[in-house]
Amino acid sequence: MSMNESNHSLSSNASEYSTTTGQIEVENPKMSMRNVDVSYGDKQAIFNVNLDIAKNEVISMIGPSGCGKSTFLRCLNRMNDTIESCKVSGDLLLEGQDIYDPKLDVVPLRARVGMVFQKPNPFPKSIYDNVAYGPHIHGLANTKFELDEIVEKSLKKAGLWDEVKDRLDQPGTGLSGGQQQRLCIARTIAVSPEVILMDEPCSALDPIATARIEELIDELSANYTIAIVTHSMQQAARVSHRTAYFHLGYLVEIGSTDDIFTNPSHKLTEAYITGRFG
Amino acid sequence: MNLTTIEIVNKTLKKRRQKERVFRAAGLVSVLTGLAALVFLLHTIVGNGWGAFTQSYIQLPLKLDAQVLRIDNPLDEEEWDYANYAGVIKASLRERFPEVTSRKQKRILYRLVSPGASFQVKQLLDDRSLLGSEVTLWLPADDDVDSLIKGYINRELPEKERRVKDFALTLIDDLVSSGQLERKFNVIFFSAGDSSEPEQAGIYGSMLGSFFTLVVTLILSFPIGVAAAIYLEEFAPKNRFIDLIEININNLAAVPSIVFGLLGLAIFLNVFGIPRSIPIVAGIVLAIMTLPTVIISSRAALGAVPPSIREAALGLGASKMQTIFDHVFPLAMPGMLTGSIIGMARALGETAPLLMIGMVAFVVDIPGSFTDPATVLPVQIFLWSDSPERAFVERTSGAIIILLLFLVIMNGLAVWLRNKFEQRW
Repeated sequence: MSMNESNHSLSSNASEYSTTTGQIEVENPKMSMRNVDVSYGDKQAIFNVNLDIAKNEVISMIGPSGCGKSTFLRCLNRMNDTIESCKVSGDLLLEGQDIYDPKLDVVPLRARVGMVFQKPNPFPKSIYDNVAYGPHIHGLANTKFELDEIVEKSLKKAGLWDEVKDRLDQPGTGLSGGQQQRLCIARTIAVSPEVILMDEPCSALDPIATARIEELIDELSANYTIAIVTHSMQQAARVSHRTAYFHLGYLVEIGSTDDIFTNPSHKLTEAYITGRFG
Repeated sequence: MNLTTIEIVNKTLKKRRQKERVFRAAGLVSVLTGLAALVFLLHTIVGNGWGAFTQSYIQLPLKLDAQVLRIDNPLDEEEWDYANYAGVIKASLRERFPEVTSRKQKRILYRLVSPGASFQVKQLLDDRSLLGSEVTLWLPADDDVDSLIKGYINRELPEKERRVKDFALTLIDDLVSSGQLERKFNVIFFSAGDSSEPEQAGIYGSMLGSFFTLVVTLILSFPIGVAAAIYLEEFAPKNRFIDLIEININNLAAVPSIVFGLLGLAIFLNVFGIPRSIPIVAGIVLAIMTLPTVIISSRAALGAVPPSIREAALGLGASKMQTIFDHVFPLAMPGMLTGSIIGMARALGETAPLLMIGMVAFVVDIPGSFTDPATVLPVQIFLWSDSPERAFVERTSGAIIILLLFLVIMNGLAVWLRNKFEQRW
C-alpha cells in the first residue's frame, strides 16, 4: 500500500478502517457490489468495497476529498471505461447481472443506470433537444407526439417545465446553473433509468438552487433508486435514507442516515461528521 | 536591519515596474517593426500594381469590308479562319493618319495597336451579319504606348535610348488630343489567359486554374484529414504505432513543399502517367501537402471539446459513434473548418511544388475543367516576374494584389467562422 496516511493523526493504521462497520446487505438489492477494487495504473483508489443498494432508496456517499467515493459511483454505470488506465475488479451486479461482464454492452447499462454530473453539462442545443436526445437514440418514441410527451413529462418531473415551457427551442446553455442541472436531471430521467447516479450535483449551485434539487431528489426517490455523492453532510442528512462513509479508498461505515449522523459507530466517521477533518 | 514586509516590497517595486516598462517597449517595437514591413510591402505592391488595372485603349472606326478581310465566299468557314483581321485595323489607322506614307513610318503606326487586337475583330465577326458594316471599337494599345501614357517611359531621354521613337510620340499625342487614346479599366487583365503580349495577358486563366486546383485539394484534404483526426483523437489505441504515426504527421507539416512536388512528379506523372500541368495533379499534390495541417488543427479542435459533453452523452447511453457524431464533431466543426481554410490559403499561395509537376507551362487557353492544362495564380506571378517588358512588372504586382485579396478573404472567412460558431462553456 502506497497511501500517504500520515496526513491525518486519526488514521494511523489502515487496519482500523479496512473492514466496514455496519450492515452491508439489504433484502432484494437493486445493485450489489462485492470485493470491488479499483486502480488507476499503479495507484489503487478503492479497496475491497462491499455494498448493496436497495430499490428506491437514496444512498449518499460521503467522505474527504480523494476518498474514492466518486470513483466508486462511476463504476456503477462503467463511466470509468473512458479512463484507459482504470482497472475495476470484483463483482458488481445490477439485479443479479454482472455489469463488468465483458460480453455486456454498456449502452443498455447506461440507459438503465443514468448519471448526473458535478458541473451542469447540458448539450449546446435547445432545451427540447437536450431532453429528447436520450429517448431519440434509444428509440423510445416512435412519433413526434410521443417524443413531445416524454420531454414534457421529464421536464415536469424535474420541476423545470413551468420555467421553460415557452422557450423549449432556446439553448440549454442559456439557463441558470440550477436550471441547467435540473435540465440534466430531466435529460437523465427521459430515458427512464432504474438507477440515477449523482456526482456532487449541487457543488456548483447556490443554496436556493441546491434546495430545489434536494426537493427534487426527494420526489424522484418514489420511482428511482438514487446514489448520490456529496461533500455536504447536511445534504446527505437531508436527502438520503442510508449513508456510506468512505475513507482513503475504504468503505468505513454504512448505516441508516439517522444513525450515521447521530450515533456513528466508527471513530473516523464521527471525526468526519463532527468536522474534525475533511 | 529590521525592515517591515511593506518596506521590502517597496524597495523592489521600482525595479519590477522598470522591467515591465522595458518589456512593454520591446513588444511595441516588435509590433511596429512588423507593421512597418507590412506597410512597405503593401505600398510597393500596390504602387507597382495599381496601373495593371487600367490599360490604354485606342478608339478606331473599323470598316469590316469583305475585300480588306480577303473573304470572297462568306459561306466558306476556312476563309473566316484565315481572314486578314489585322488589315482592317491597319486600314483604319492609315485613314486616321493619311500623312503617313513611308514603309518605316507605317510600321511604327501599325505598332501603336496591340498585335493581339486582331483577335478582338475576329471575335466581333463571330456575328457574321456585321460583314460590310462599320463599327467603332476601343482596341488595346501596344504595351509601349501604354507604358508611355502611364509615365513609365521618360520622354526627355534621347531618342536612341527610348523605346518609343519621336515619330510614334507625335502620333500618340495626336490621338490623345483627339480623345482617341484613353486609359480605361483593364477588362483583358481579368478576362484573358497568359500571353506573350503584356496588353493581352490576364489572370483569368490562372485564377480558374487555382480554383480547380483548390477544389480538388479541398475535396481530398478535408474529408481525409478530418477522418484521420477523428480516428487518431477518438478511436486509436494508445500504442507505439500510433505514436509513430503522430510524430510522422507532425514532421510532414514541416517538410519543404517542393518535396511534395517531387513526390507528385515521381508518382502521379511518372508512375501513373497522368498528363502534366493539369489541376487534378496539382490538387492532389497540394492536398497531400495540406493534410498534416488539416489533421493537426482538426485534432486540436476535437481535443478542445470539453470532456463534460462527452460524459453527458456517454452517461445517457450514447454509443461512442453517437457521442462523437452527435456532439463532439459538430462542436469541433468550426475549428476544423478554420484549420482547413488556413490550409487552403497556404495551398493557394503555393508555387514550388507546382513547378515540379509542370504547372509552370505557358498556358494561353482558359482552362474549362479539372483536366485542362492550366497554371495557378502564384505560378503566373512567378512567370510574369521573369518577363522583361515594363508592362509585365505592373501586371506581376497586379496579380499579387489579387492573390493577396483572395488570401485576406479566406483568412477573414476563417476568423469569421471561428467567431460565429465559437462555443463558450
